Amino acid sequence: MADLTPKTSWTAEDAAHLARRAGFGISPEAAAALATQTVDAAVNAWVDGGADRKAMDAVLAASADVVDEPSRKASTTAGSVDVPAVPAPHPFLVQGVDAWRNDFARAQAYLAFRMQYDPYPFAERMGLFCHNLFATGWHKVDNVALMLNQYQTFRAHGLDNFDDLLVLVSKDPAMAIWLDLVDNDAAGGNVPNENYAREVMELYSLGADNGYNQTDITQLARALSGWSFTVPASSAIVDPTNPDNLTAAGGNFRVYDGSANPDAYLRDLQLQANLPKMHGTGTITYLGQTFDIAKPPSGMVPGEDALRSIVTSRAVQCSQFLAQRLLIHFVTGRFTEGDLTDVAAMIRAAGFNLRSVMKTLLKSNYFFAASNRFALVEGPVSWTVRAARALGYDLASADAISPKGFPAWSNVADPYFEEAGMKLLDPIGPNGWKEDVGWMNSNTIRYRTKIAAAVALGAGAPDSSDARLFPSDVNRWFPTAPASPADVLGRLVALLQPGAIPAAVSTAWLQALWPSGFTWETAAQGNARVLAYLILCSPAGQVY
Amino acid sequence: MHFTRRTFLQGLGATGVAMATGCGLKSTLGGQPAIPIPAHPVLLVIDIDGGWDWLNVLTPMSGSNRSVYEASRATLGIPVDQLVRVDGEAGINKDLTGMTDLDALGRVAWIPGIGMNNPDLSHFVSIALWGQGATQPDGTGWLGRFADKAFNASGDVLRGLTVTSDLPEMLHGATRDFVSITSSSGYVYPAWLRSDRIGLPYDPQLMESGFAAAVTPATTDPSQMAAAKSGKLFLDAQNQFGTNGTLPPRTPTVPYPGDPDYPLKSGKGGSLSSALSGQLKLIAQMLAAGLPTQVFFARLSGWDTHSNEARDLPNLQRTLGGSIKAFYDDLAKVQTPLGNAQERMMVVGYSEFGRRVPENQGGTDHGTAGLAFAVGRAVTGGVYGAYPSLSDLDPNKNMKFTVDFRSLFATVLDRWLGQPASTTNAILGTSYPRLPFL
Repeated sequence: MADLTPKTSWTAEDAAHLARRAGFGISPEAAAALATQTVDAAVNAWVDGGADRKAMDAVLAASADVVDEPSRKASTTAGSVDVPAVPAPHPFLVQGVDAWRNDFARAQAYLAFRMQYDPYPFAERMGLFCHNLFATGWHKVDNVALMLNQYQTFRAHGLDNFDDLLVLVSKDPAMAIWLDLVDNDAAGGNVPNENYAREVMELYSLGADNGYNQTDITQLARALSGWSFTVPASSAIVDPTNPDNLTAAGGNFRVYDGSANPDAYLRDLQLQANLPKMHGTGTITYLGQTFDIAKPPSGMVPGEDALRSIVTSRAVQCSQFLAQRLLIHFVTGRFTEGDLTDVAAMIRAAGFNLRSVMKTLLKSNYFFAASNRFALVEGPVSWTVRAARALGYDLASADAISPKGFPAWSNVADPYFEEAGMKLLDPIGPNGWKEDVGWMNSNTIRYRTKIAAAVALGAGAPDSSDARLFPSDVNRWFPTAPASPADVLGRLVALLQPGAIPAAVSTAWLQALWPSGFTWETAAQGNARVLAYLILCSPAGQVY
Repeated sequence: MHFTRRTFLQGLGATGVAMATGCGLKSTLGGQPAIPIPAHPVLLVIDIDGGWDWLNVLTPMSGSNRSVYEASRATLGIPVDQLVRVDGEAGINKDLTGMTDLDALGRVAWIPGIGMNNPDLSHFVSIALWGQGATQPDGTGWLGRFADKAFNASGDVLRGLTVTSDLPEMLHGATRDFVSITSSSGYVYPAWLRSDRIGLPYDPQLMESGFAAAVTPATTDPSQMAAAKSGKLFLDAQNQFGTNGTLPPRTPTVPYPGDPDYPLKSGKGGSLSSALSGQLKLIAQMLAAGLPTQVFFARLSGWDTHSNEARDLPNLQRTLGGSIKAFYDDLAKVQTPLGNAQERMMVVGYSEFGRRVPENQGGTDHGTAGLAFAVGRAVTGGVYGAYPSLSDLDPNKNMKFTVDFRSLFATVLDRWLGQPASTTNAILGTSYPRLPFL
């Protein structure tokens, strides 16, 4: 049984747990401050956001490069070009003249930068959750602007009603390319492309073989045929490296409905002629209901009512699916069938409104239960960001260093995120990444040791290919000078918040680092970096 | 975590499995005879990820299947003159570069129609079922269970190795996992830590103690245990991997797909993908360095051709076939402490399923029965099992399988990896007919 009643009082440790799971961690001082609020008020504010974001927006707006890239890579890949310096507002615009930019590593770095510094971390956390749930891969979409456009949809609508979110995802240009909606042609007697119809049920709403059959797949494919997207001429951008290529950040989603259809559409980075008529006609029987796919209810596009019916016709399965995904991301990988049933019932009672669902879950005694603390292996992107938040500079200091911007992320994100098991913005398949213990293998932990070195050991200017360093200042880790090795350990544990470290292990570390005596000077500060590194690399350092 | 644990595979056994027999054996058609199974065999499993449209790879050339094929593949159908006949009724697509040469040598066993009873059209369910290779799925894979049985419990850390950055379920055992290594250098602690620039000089015990200490019954938390086991495996492996985590450099003796001097290009005229050849070059380098690896795993993704199949499938085939052929030729020059690498190696390729017989508008959707193959000096080439009917389909209009996929695994386990029949049957859950290509 999952006790979903709200927790009535809490501690700084509880607040830190909330911030780790529903954000990217906070300092012990911030946790103590948060714990002075009621659980109800604190979680509401955490979920709803609203904190002052002037500083963040100013940094983004003022930074032509939020990450430093002294030499842009020239490339013959379509859409990836050698870019001259471009003035403000900033280079990750997903509309306008910068939209053809397709620098993948830079986009990864940008997202990590947002996760580290955005004053609304829950939106970034929901973005990351949705990115895994609706996993879409850049290697096929081949357009960073479209990928970032999709990520912004997750930020902006990740707390909507689930059926509304499902419709938005199904109309998303990156998704349309990723799972072949742009090629789903059921006009006349054409055989529809069933790729998206299968995965939207298997991976995005119900789970494999959970309440649908092959006939439902082909029928939904007919309903969603023609859900391509068009590109107004004003959104089409010429690729400077190849005048034959036109691409765009977005466009108007359009279902062909028999009316005039003048707009171009995009496929394979090529602007095509008018969107062909691809939507099927007639009635379908889908999940036990009949729909006329040419005559949608008012306010919907053709086929949309069939898509939305997943949430009503299969409410139990859909709620169980969502509960499962939420639990393994936010609570624990070792929930019981009873826990799952209870959370699914709560989702249905909330009418699939994700804002309400998340508030109930994050306030619950179940979420804060002792058995659910440090009960998940943290994903590598979250793990890296949380370590960087704990040890790296604050936003103002990071923005003040020269070169302008924050060089570390562009070095660390690519290729370390991929090797650590989460190639942000580019999952191999639409099933995304397996979470919790699925993050762990001998290769992913090997790369965590490299990332930990970058985050914990960074001290000065990089001087080798392996020195992918985050700037940090040990003195800022210690507001008051530690008086003993145990003080150093205590403060680093408070900052990094690992799971329980066996006493024998931490004792061995301290004895090796400080075999005799203790003075807080340069050598000891170097040892403090090594100790932070060891904590991050240890088994306890992987859980949260 | 499990909604629908599928148990339909249990108790299937040998019933319902078409008896597989070799036919059209290349050894009698101008090829070379197979060598005896070597004393120290090595296995490479290649995951053809995405469900390949093998009907366009080993394609019907004549008979009723050809008629149905042509009617079903109006735009994507492969013309007969693009095929090299391998047996009475089917031929290899010439785009599967190099495999036609290996086939002519008699070194390729083809298994069309390989699959399972009650198949699933989900990639991820099918990948799990192929990986598990069990009658009773328990979260372990058939090669992982092989490692449980055959590997030294406290050693053999490099004996099972994937060159992918993930760890597929196939390689996950009850007591141990395969190691994942994706590069030939720097497989050690971060250089910055080793360079004595920070704090005390490097002391490997500091980190190793954190992992080793946790791999004990005292660690009851499964998440921490997963981290501890993974970390310990990395640390144990890096202690045995080259010098300072770096293998001797090696220049391949032949060009691989993606290399500047590889003659064949993609359909657009650019280089072919090096996604697979990079993995195979690394394996060749590992063998040349004398690593004690017995089972390797590699993957080529991109086969989920719902659309743009006419553009993509030829390049995928060139990449797959060309990489295997280059690897085969390259290994002839690799001497390992336990013998010539080409003689020791067998490559097995498989995909989670085949695709629908009729095409959609530019591609093909998920299907059932697949095509697997085995390549090696000790392989007796030919077609094993019956080519499935393209007209006698299941209720979802997909092909019916003719060879149980676990027959392939059983053949590999006891004929190639030397397991007693009883051990093979225990690993797979029951006895499956062996295929006579070894």
